Amino acid sequence: MIVPMTRLQIVGHKRDLDATLRALQELACVQLVDAPNIHATLRPYASGAEHAEMETLSYLQARLDALLALLPAQPVESEQPFADVLPASPEQTLATRLQADLDAHAAALETLAQQRQALRNDADVLPNYAATLTKLSRLTPALTELSDYETVALLINRRYAAVVDLLAEEMRAIAGERSLLVSDQVDADNIGALLVFPRAVAAPMQALLGRAQVSQVSLPDSLRNVPFRDALDHIQQRLKSIPDELAVIDARLAEAARQHRSRWLAARQALVRRLEQLRVRNHLGETEHTFVLVGWTPQRDLPKTLAYLDQHLPDSALVAQELPPASAEIHAAPVLMESRALTRPYEFFLRLFSLPQYGSFDPTTLMALFMPLFFGIMLGDVGYSLVLLAISLYGLRRFPVGTGLHDIFRFLLMGSVWGVIWGFVFGEFLGSLGHDWFGMQAWWRERSDPEALAPLLLFTIGLGAVHVTLGLALGVWQAWRARQSQHLWERGGMLVGLIGLFLLAAVATRRLPAGWMTPSLAVVIVGLVLLIRGLGPIGALMAPVELLGVVGNVLSYLRLAAIGLASVYLAMVGNTMAGRVGSLWVGVLIAALFHALNIALGAFSPTIHALRLHYVEFFSKFYEPGGEPFAPYGAGHS
Amino acid sequence: MDIGLLAVGAGLAVGITALGTGYAQGRIGSAGVGAMAEKPELMGRIILLVAIPETMVILGFAVAAMILLLLGGGAGG
Repeated sequence: MIVPMTRLQIVGHKRDLDATLRALQELACVQLVDAPNIHATLRPYASGAEHAEMETLSYLQARLDALLALLPAQPVESEQPFADVLPASPEQTLATRLQADLDAHAAALETLAQQRQALRNDADVLPNYAATLTKLSRLTPALTELSDYETVALLINRRYAAVVDLLAEEMRAIAGERSLLVSDQVDADNIGALLVFPRAVAAPMQALLGRAQVSQVSLPDSLRNVPFRDALDHIQQRLKSIPDELAVIDARLAEAARQHRSRWLAARQALVRRLEQLRVRNHLGETEHTFVLVGWTPQRDLPKTLAYLDQHLPDSALVAQELPPASAEIHAAPVLMESRALTRPYEFFLRLFSLPQYGSFDPTTLMALFMPLFFGIMLGDVGYSLVLLAISLYGLRRFPVGTGLHDIFRFLLMGSVWGVIWGFVFGEFLGSLGHDWFGMQAWWRERSDPEALAPLLLFTIGLGAVHVTLGLALGVWQAWRARQSQHLWERGGMLVGLIGLFLLAAVATRRLPAGWMTPSLAVVIVGLVLLIRGLGPIGALMAPVELLGVVGNVLSYLRLAAIGLASVYLAMVGNTMAGRVGSLWVGVLIAALFHALNIALGAFSPTIHALRLHYVEFFSKFYEPGGEPFAPYGAGHS
Repeated sequence: MDIGLLAVGAGLAVGITALGTGYAQGRIGSAGVGAMAEKPELMGRIILLVAIPETMVILGFAVAAMILLLLGGGAGG
């Protein structure tokens, strides 16, 4: 059901604005609209000081979020408001108190976070250095520690082994006999090389290495002053000490979280609420001394809202009253849907498509009737339906009310119940197993029987005819109610033309006497004329196409039979294959795999097709999408 | 008429329309997933768009059923 809405207008002195906005935020049942658009004489509310406050609070919120992200998540101990958690002198505003609070603790926390990040970086990076240095370790005993010398380690792919000799030659040319190069194969792919040369020739040596394009093994910054031969020991010691250091930092952060987190979460909530109060001012209109606020509210909440304002702002000079919308404005109302438990899941499917416009027809009740019915016809197997029923019951317990998955499982539950009923109608239990093992008989026809194909197809076309005709009848009613003459002609023409075509089909299949032919043709022609009238200048060209489109829509319901047949034949293939393998256990395994696949397909495919039949075939006849969801001011924090 | 030819005809009616549907759904689906990455709220519309070409294969199925039921019955199949 679409909840009836009305408009509320509040006019008051500017000194009462803050209190009014706080009260409406508490109520969370009014969606504000731009007041200057309603009253052309009003000017938009100019927020001067508030704008500066908004910038400060936004900055503080970003800072607070950054600090909260540093703290480990812990259960919030109390949900006290920020003001109660951090007593302050009356002259301090929320911003100044929070600013002081953050200034007092931010630096220490940021330092801790940086230290933790550095430790984590080391824990990630140092093992790589250790692995490389281990490879080079067999070369380092050849080194002696010399204070004026620099050591560079290289890893060179074996394919470029010749580079080592060239480097040795070039290095001797630069540094003479005061240089040393030792190299050896360090693993299957690489040759390690250590170059020792005087610091005085470091620059030309680096240039040489750059020209040779060899990869140097550089030590991390923390080991920059450690001699190369000692680096591996240092790294291993460092890796050993990291977990203890991390534990100390984590304990300090946990302690900080215990001290500050609940207070800062409360502060954040206060910030967000205040920011919302400031941002909503963009919708207001003003005169020199007054503000004007207009918003949509559910009709049933209007008395409650007026009483609340009276009670909480007794000394204010507010004029709060209903501002009934004109008929042209009512379509701009936001849409609040409220369904009973049975129809609630279909609100979810409707939201997936688009909410209906305010004042238009809400199809959730019809969806609750037809969607599970279509699902059941397609699934049509007692065994599969019972499995889906069990899964749906589990899903309903697992996911809380209000979540999309809960709605989907509720739909599956209803669909499965229909699936059990249609399973008996078609005499199916895990395909033909019910018939073969338990002598199960179809109440109507077995879908696997070739003789059943024609009646099954006719039945689904008949169901499509009913559904599409219902959609068109709703469309006609809606167009008539909304005084939309063009839609009325168009949908009326389609409805009449379709009825004429049904009559023609009945005559052609001798269900009606031949004398009905002329009247049936006349009905089709009347329908086409109405359609041409509704479609305008191109009507003569488009009317037959449109009518054929409606026939296509009806034929589209053949999918109810087609999807069901695919499912029943897949089940039969599984049963037949399982019966022919010769081994009981292999047979059971094959049958289980086929039936599991069929159940997965049986949950997914009929849902999508039942949805599609509604979205495309049914809704296109009457549905008016594009409703704006009701988003009351304050709802996010109530 | 030879029942084998009827079966081939029915198979072609479903097969060719299924190819057409698959091709169209592939193109629409890939574009739809791209759009949904930007705007997840478009999911319902995209399901609708992806589902539209299915009418082709359903009509193919209807033609195949007519071939088998109307002509196949006469051939003694």
